[in-house]
Amino acid sequence: MATAATPSSSDERSRVIALGIESTAHTFGVAVVSDKHPYILSDARGHYRPSKGGILPREVAQYFSQVAGSVVREALSKAGVSMDDVDLIAVALGPGMGPALRIGATVARALSSKYSKPLYSVNHGVAHIEIARFLTGLRDPLVIYVSGGTTTIASYLEGRYRVFGETLDIALGNLQDTFAREIGIAPPYIVGGRHVIDICAEGGKFIEELPYVVKGQDVSYSGLLTAAVRLVKKGWRKADVCYTFREIAYSSVVEVAERGLAHTGKKEVVLTGGVAASKLLNEKVEAMAKSHNARFKPIPPKYAGDNGVMIALTGILAFKSGVPPIPPEEAIIKQRWRLDRVDIPWYPMILGD
Amino acid sequence: MVSYDPRRLAGTLIEETSLLARGAESELRLGLFFGRKAVFKLRLPKPYMDPALDSKLRRVRTIREAKVIAAALEGGVPAPRLYMILPSAGLIVMEYVEGPQLKEALWEGSLDPRRAGYEAGVILGRLHSLGIVHGDPTTSNYIVSGRGLILIDYGLSEFSASIEDRAVDVHLFKRAVESTHAGIVGELYGGFLDGYRESMGDPAGEILERVEEIELRGRYVEERRKSVWRM
Repeated sequence: MATAATPSSSDERSRVIALGIESTAHTFGVAVVSDKHPYILSDARGHYRPSKGGILPREVAQYFSQVAGSVVREALSKAGVSMDDVDLIAVALGPGMGPALRIGATVARALSSKYSKPLYSVNHGVAHIEIARFLTGLRDPLVIYVSGGTTTIASYLEGRYRVFGETLDIALGNLQDTFAREIGIAPPYIVGGRHVIDICAEGGKFIEELPYVVKGQDVSYSGLLTAAVRLVKKGWRKADVCYTFREIAYSSVVEVAERGLAHTGKKEVVLTGGVAASKLLNEKVEAMAKSHNARFKPIPPKYAGDNGVMIALTGILAFKSGVPPIPPEEAIIKQRWRLDRVDIPWYPMILGD
Repeated sequence: MVSYDPRRLAGTLIEETSLLARGAESELRLGLFFGRKAVFKLRLPKPYMDPALDSKLRRVRTIREAKVIAAALEGGVPAPRLYMILPSAGLIVMEYVEGPQLKEALWEGSLDPRRAGYEAGVILGRLHSLGIVHGDPTTSNYIVSGRGLILIDYGLSEFSASIEDRAVDVHLFKRAVESTHAGIVGELYGGFLDGYRESMGDPAGEILERVEEIELRGRYVEERRKSVWRM
């Protein structure tokens, strides 16, 4: 087992320190998190940004392998700890892009073996939910999880996060990026902290021509994407198309969440994942929650997107609730690992309890 | 010419009604319409939407629901009678069907489960053969009225003749039976299948095969989607 650091006080002795590794998409994130105040000891990240086009998994992996060592060192030095102080390593093994996931898994296996630290396998989606619960203090929320690859409404029921609704085709983040790219306003996708679609939508007004598709508990975006691109190519005013496109994309996911809220009877709502950084989406979710007398709290945009903090803190929850660590040789990536496949024995505990 | 404002008219109509239930997107209110007990289903404005999108959706959905009810009634499906619609106010006024939910009647044991199931199956089969799927055919949405079972709440209904959509309807009924009437699944669902096959005719075979397939996909909600991750 681990060669533990010499404890300086009883408080220090009971403190748990985790190193979390995230590498599912375009962010290689490593963070050191403790279960005691101030919790987040460091948060190091390397972002892959394509100069043109979309994200190519192989290029991401190449970039990750170049920065992995320095991101790990940065996380440890900013936290002021050494590997000896770390009690456990947590790594996101999925879902995500295979080549990218493999870099994080390799780094985690190596650190776990070399320093004899227990290794915890974390589901990336579950981690997005756990960081939202930790940051908002809302313990039993309906979760709206929106990112590049995911559009999911989930909530906890009988041991797991259950999926109430999701997209039937493309995800919200991917939808926005693809549209921006197709109409020639990206990359870069983010300018001055705002998505280029938000900039494009300024001064736009609602037009009737775009389809709004909510089917029961699910949204569908592919028709919206095709129709919006066609309107721009036909010469419609870009501001109007961008405004309406965004209005429909956001409203439909909020409407599915509203149905989920009525169905589950939950009294709290959180918004998490990369697209949760959107101010407008936060305003819409807040208005929806308010009209159903449910509580909503936004999370800081910094923690909406992928990061190592959420992986580390989920690892701590698993550790504290007695989930067994996995042997390094069993740290196999799972590209399509659904969040509703993961047992959540720590619920409703949050970090800090 | 006298101009009329549908929203003001809707406001006047629901003045003396009382709230029955509030769902995700609408209020059900009980009141009188020309002296008859009526349900006033009011789709509420959504504070998070652009007003133009909001009123478009409420108008379109109100019209669609009314069209479904009208087509169902015309095709002999026992549904609430339509009294009036005000699409731009999001209002449908329809018959208030007196009686307990099928769910409650079965719990009380006041109905023969096989016969009740049979009747529910005949009704869903008839709706499907009209090219309509219900979207939420649970034992809460059948009312035991003086003129037999009545299928209510067409808020999630659609015009569809697809095998998958029809099979999902049957599956939803079955799941409701299993979760709500665990002691009488065999009689209730058995009767339902007899009635459904009888009114649906030949296509029933393929639909019921698809129902089994949906179940084989595992836990329905978990497995029906293809993948979480798409880049």
